[in-house]
Amino acid sequence: MENQKTYEAYLKSTHRLGRIVSVITLILLVGAPFAIGALLGAEPDLGAVARAFLSVGLVWTVSSVVEFLVYTPMLGAGGSYLAFITGNLINMKIPCAMNAKELVNAKSGTAENEVIATLSIATSALVTIVVLALGVVLLIPLQPVLQSPVLAPAFDNVVPALFGAMAYKYYRKDPLLALIPLTVMIVLFTLVPSLTSSTSFMIIPSGALAIALSWFKYRRETKGAVRK
Amino acid sequence: MSVLEQLNSGGVYLICGSIVAFIAVVCVIFMVRAWRAGKALGMDTTRMKRAVTASATFSVLPSVGILLGVLALSGSLGVPWPWLRLSVIGALHYETQVAHAAAEQVGISLSSGQMTVQAFPTIALLMSICIMWGMILSTMFNRRYLNRLQQGKTRKTGKGGGFGDKAMAAMFIGMVSAYIGSYVGGFISGNGLFSFKGSWTPLVVVAAAALAMAMFTYFSEKKGKEWLDNFSVAGSMLIGMLAAVLIGQ
Repeated sequence: MENQKTYEAYLKSTHRLGRIVSVITLILLVGAPFAIGALLGAEPDLGAVARAFLSVGLVWTVSSVVEFLVYTPMLGAGGSYLAFITGNLINMKIPCAMNAKELVNAKSGTAENEVIATLSIATSALVTIVVLALGVVLLIPLQPVLQSPVLAPAFDNVVPALFGAMAYKYYRKDPLLALIPLTVMIVLFTLVPSLTSSTSFMIIPSGALAIALSWFKYRRETKGAVRK
Repeated sequence: MSVLEQLNSGGVYLICGSIVAFIAVVCVIFMVRAWRAGKALGMDTTRMKRAVTASATFSVLPSVGILLGVLALSGSLGVPWPWLRLSVIGALHYETQVAHAAAEQVGISLSSGQMTVQAFPTIALLMSICIMWGMILSTMFNRRYLNRLQQGKTRKTGKGGGFGDKAMAAMFIGMVSAYIGSYVGGFISGNGLFSFKGSWTPLVVVAAAALAMAMFTYFSEKKGKEWLDNFSVAGSMLIGMLAAVLIGQ
């Protein structure tokens, strides 16, 4: 009971803090181009911004809505505020939080999950900030290493390496469940190769299929357990 | 003074650096609050430490990949702006695409060094606006959305857990399947339908990383080397990336 009160108070203050820092970050990010423009003696062309937004921005708006709906339950309150502020969700924050949650065996929707996801996202964001800051400071000496043709294939394949490792971790839990969305995706990408440029959107049907299959299995198992 | 010199000037660094520093402070505040809440809720600090260590090791390699994104964009947008964008809110795949699309809209190309002082603030503003919706939705609906999900869960199961964990794992399986499916499809039909002439490097990298992960899991689960779990994803990624270097494509 005491724990429940502590957790509720923590959640309430997390939402308040999350909203405040999100609004401040939004103001800073939208204000930065104007500030830089003032420094350079040129301001953004708002007409061009509006036109460009209609041609490219709407796609990302839809993507943002989907990301919000899908990732918020995974990350909990603190984790999702931080993740949406710090970005790089698919290629880092989501797998990172899922990995941490897995390691400590935290259950979704619990206080433990909320704490672990926030710790994980905050750590991940800080590591990125430090690596990027060091990289910017050491840009000149690091350039030959980072842009070396020998290492180029390694850096071109960070995401496949990440998903290869995560695939083993998750597929082994339920190979049959994994087999169906994987097969469907292979068939789709093979028959419509242009979909490759929209892989992040294909997560939605693939994830929906996996969740639907998981739901049927869960229903069957819970009905079986009730009968016994 | 050239455009790039102006975009790399101390003033621009100061503006971008201040925002990055603000976000770093926000991360530290969230982290300390979560740690304290965990302790107050009676969570084992060893498990919390484990989550922090694993997340730190996990994030190093993808961060180096993101640094390359900064390098790639720095030739046209200067260093401070891509540094800010990829430290805060941005995503590697998003920034490059939107920067190019925004440049097209103002009638220049990023690749040919045509950046002008007049075009830069417009491109920068568009990059900010296009991706800010996740943060706006989070500000407006996060609490209501999570409360509603929690109420639904409590109604159905009477406690936490239930289908929620399975749904999250399934969503993740769907996400991984979409990416691996794109690599297989890219190899089979990437250079013409059923030509089998697409790049096979991502497939080898996926296989090498998965195999390395299997080995880490074996040693952790069967040989009692549980400490390896903290480094298993980072180690597997490194082996996958090494495979790409060995193939040399």
